[in-house]
Amino acid sequence: MVAMASIVALAVSGCTRGGGGEEGDGEGAAASPGITDTSLTFGITTPLTGPTAGPGNCTADGALAYFGVKNAEGGIEFGDGKTRTIEIKTYDDQYDPQKALANFQQMVAEDVFAAGIGLGTPTNRAWREAAIDEEFPQVLAMTGDPLFSDREESPWQLGLVATYPQEGNAFGTLLAESGEDHKVAILSQNDDYGDGYVEGFKEAVADADNIEIVGELTYEATDTSVDAQLTELAATGADVFFNAMSITPLVISSLQKAQQLGWTPSWFLPSNTSSPVAILEPGGGAAFPGIYTVAFSEAAGSPAFQESEEGQAFMAALGEYTNQDGVPGFPHCVWSWIGAATLEQAFKNMEEPTRESFMEALLNISDFDAPFMLPGAAIDTTVDGIPAVSQVVVQKYNGKGYETAESFG
Amino acid sequence: MGTFIQLVVDGLSQGSIYAALALAIVLVNQATGLINFAQGGLAVLSAYIAYVFVQLGLPTILAILIAVVISFAIGAVVERFLIRRFERGDPDTAVVVTIGLLTLVTGIAALFWGYNNRQFPSLFPLGTVDLFGAVVSIRSIGTTLTILAIMIVLQLLFLRTKLGLALRAVADNPSSAAFSGLPVGRLLMIGWGLAAGLGAIAGSLVAPKLTLTPGMMDIALVYALAAVILGGLSSPVGAVAAAWAIGILENLAAVYVPLIGHDLKIAVPFILIFVILIVRPQGLFGRKVVVRV
Amino acid sequence: MNRMSTLLRNRWVQIGLIAVVAIVLIVAPLMLPVFANQTLIRIGVYAVAVLGLNIVMGYAGQVNLGQIFFLGLGAYVAAYGVTHDWNILLVFVAACVIPGVVGLLIALAASRLGGLAIAMITIALPIVGVPLAKRLSDLTGGSQGVSARFSGAPEWSGLFDDQWQYYIVLVVTVGAFVLGRNLVRGKFGRGFKIVRENEAVAASMGVSPYRYKVLAFTIASILGGASGFLYLAAVQYTSPETLSFGHSIALLAAMVIGGAGSIAGSLIGGIYYVFVPQVTNAIDPTLTAISQGVILLAVLFLLPGGLVSLPRVIRRLTRRRTSRPTQGGSPQTTPAQPPPAAVAQEGPENTERQSRS
Repeated sequence: MVAMASIVALAVSGCTRGGGGEEGDGEGAAASPGITDTSLTFGITTPLTGPTAGPGNCTADGALAYFGVKNAEGGIEFGDGKTRTIEIKTYDDQYDPQKALANFQQMVAEDVFAAGIGLGTPTNRAWREAAIDEEFPQVLAMTGDPLFSDREESPWQLGLVATYPQEGNAFGTLLAESGEDHKVAILSQNDDYGDGYVEGFKEAVADADNIEIVGELTYEATDTSVDAQLTELAATGADVFFNAMSITPLVISSLQKAQQLGWTPSWFLPSNTSSPVAILEPGGGAAFPGIYTVAFSEAAGSPAFQESEEGQAFMAALGEYTNQDGVPGFPHCVWSWIGAATLEQAFKNMEEPTRESFMEALLNISDFDAPFMLPGAAIDTTVDGIPAVSQVVVQKYNGKGYETAESFG
Repeated sequence: MGTFIQLVVDGLSQGSIYAALALAIVLVNQATGLINFAQGGLAVLSAYIAYVFVQLGLPTILAILIAVVISFAIGAVVERFLIRRFERGDPDTAVVVTIGLLTLVTGIAALFWGYNNRQFPSLFPLGTVDLFGAVVSIRSIGTTLTILAIMIVLQLLFLRTKLGLALRAVADNPSSAAFSGLPVGRLLMIGWGLAAGLGAIAGSLVAPKLTLTPGMMDIALVYALAAVILGGLSSPVGAVAAAWAIGILENLAAVYVPLIGHDLKIAVPFILIFVILIVRPQGLFGRKVVVRV
Repeated sequence: MNRMSTLLRNRWVQIGLIAVVAIVLIVAPLMLPVFANQTLIRIGVYAVAVLGLNIVMGYAGQVNLGQIFFLGLGAYVAAYGVTHDWNILLVFVAACVIPGVVGLLIALAASRLGGLAIAMITIALPIVGVPLAKRLSDLTGGSQGVSARFSGAPEWSGLFDDQWQYYIVLVVTVGAFVLGRNLVRGKFGRGFKIVRENEAVAASMGVSPYRYKVLAFTIASILGGASGFLYLAAVQYTSPETLSFGHSIALLAAMVIGGAGSIAGSLIGGIYYVFVPQVTNAIDPTLTAISQGVILLAVLFLLPGGLVSLPRVIRRLTRRRTSRPTQGGSPQTTPAQPPPAAVAQEGPENTERQSRS
């Protein structure tokens, strides 16, 4: 009885089999689902509630703000000459892979043209193969998992942010090139995030005789304290601390704890937890001889950003089209904005209203001067194995913001 | 040796975070016989309320006191208009109601304050002191002492005051408490209110370290539950002692037992509970409950 | 009302009804849109998990906060089997047996202790399970998870993938529910009930509480494993996130919302678990925490016995209204026992927990 009732309920809300994207062999001319002459629907499934909701909301909000502005201006002129507005549909997956897949299935049923920009490795992985089966673009995923940028394995995918090994490698290279002897202590998050950073770093210093790794520990993303790890690592006497940590409060308390222990090495912090205002100031980052990070975009909290015309437009758009209140605490808002700009670039170049044409356009972006990119960093979607952000730069904290670091020390 | 002492001290200050929440759980359980999953969520909401008053320019201590008073009212209202309906029914349903409450409260905090980490000022300065060769932050000493003080007050409340006796009587057997003329309804409200007020202190104590987010207490809640069961549901002293033991043993096991390591240290308190419950099923400090046939 | 229930008790009418339901269940995926099938598939996955939880908690009264661990374990076992090219039946059996054995071992130790110990140990399962799954990355694929695709429709069937998956899930789910129903209606069900209500009485009646608790926990673990197999059939991917503690709590909520101590309630619980996130996403994706909290509290506030008690509550309300002229105000003071006919009709499906106070 119950089953029958639910079936009836479902039948009312669902769509019919023929209407989906199943018959994709219309040879180019027929438009894919989710795109009309005046609009295009783009889906984002990302954690909007739950423990990862902070970066998760930012991940959706940057794109919402960007296209909010573009739509208010009348829309975007596509490569086929038609002007379309971009409707962003957001879905909450609460960082649950199963819900992410369900959201993808719902997007297919609701005729979403393409999806992406969502945060998370397991959540994106959960619908990667389903998207390939459906020939559905899953693009600019907010994860440093290299799988999404492997063109062979993931023909309908592309990552947005630099892969974790890319970032770790950039810092390792800088350190190895310094020529001085350094003892390195490593603390990393016990998942693909931390592992990726450490892998990239070790690869870069593998042949350098001047670098010695004296301690290597992990922590869980759910931990509320890493004091024990810091106590243990401080005892190694390392002069460089490679801290691949993605949890904001833990980074702050590690900075404080290290000072309390009287351990003041040079630090490395990943791009998503190196915010000067939200992390280094409360953590007392100025006490350390140098704090290095890897970045490709400007930080929304920096004075230069806030004073620039582009930055003010960004803040105004966030204020108007999202629930963000003041300067966002996570860099993902800016990244999502960059992702949206990259999407726009692809829309401008796609010549047919089809998913195939969209992917072709998206995978052919080079020399694109995206907003908020640092000098030296770049968007280039044409390199196999590398996500949209192809180049990153190492930066050093100067007490207020970051400056690009040419060399270590 | 220095590292060992440092690890013990670190574990103690970590354990104090669990202890703060554990005390509130013990209080609700003593007063209403219920395990409240929403205790952490309510504590976070209280910390946000304190945060609002700090933003308005009030001194931190005053802001926390106001939050305690408001939280007391919130706790009492939640008991009267939500929990009351489930108190005499199936205990599983009541637990699930507190789970729903946790979801709702977390959502409300997120609605008003978003998911960005917010800096909450500490009552205690950031400095450190040397203690037996270990570095101890004044903050964690302050937190630990506050927890100790609350624990003593609670222990006295339950064992030495009429209110405490009445609260326990109501939790134990509401109908016979009513027959002996106790205002059962009001006592239940007071129990929840006190626990929520205590939660406000707990939330404000840990917020400077964890930074204020809607899910700040989610993990601490699991540890607090472990501490409460380990220490015996009925004993504030037991809950605090258990929370400290968990914090310290977890740290030591992570560093000195390579097989466990930092990733599996969370298993330590549970293994400990298992062993202890086999020896003492009522917990370390709990009283044995006799079930009538 | 009475005529209706006598009609329902007629054997032929019952068989006819079952046949109709069976035909609907078999034909439905061929007619329904893809997304409806996919939703039904997920409902099946979680209905089986909730059924297991209901047997150990709703029927046997043992608090279990770790059911998701067995789902996750089943999914990992299935993923391992699939990636190593085992026969699919072997994969299914392994996905049930291995969680079952683990559950049995845990229950053998935990059931000696009081209810709190079981609660604590079951909390520990998902909490320790997540880092453990990451540690054993050779078997589990670590934090990136493992994808295992075995549920694509074979060529000869002429079905779409979602239809094929639906039939896999349907077979296992129906099997699990038929077994579960027979179990709780038989000797074991009576044993669970006595153990739940009073262990001392159970012991005096020659029913070993220990043995029944272990049995209930083991069955729940096996069903958890089976639902893990279904999870892999539906999602084709699993990762440590799958067995996070939060999902375990959500399963518990789904069980109570559906109806503790009710087989039909387990199915409703599965529907709730899958539907509510979709509904709240449609309301406002940034406010799902609030709307899910409100829905849960509202349902339990109106129906403390879970959604399965809705027909009974409606019947009671309508009866009260119709009977008022003849019987005066008496039904208002005592929520009357349902008349024998209604009891017979609902049988043991009636949430027995309501009659306990």
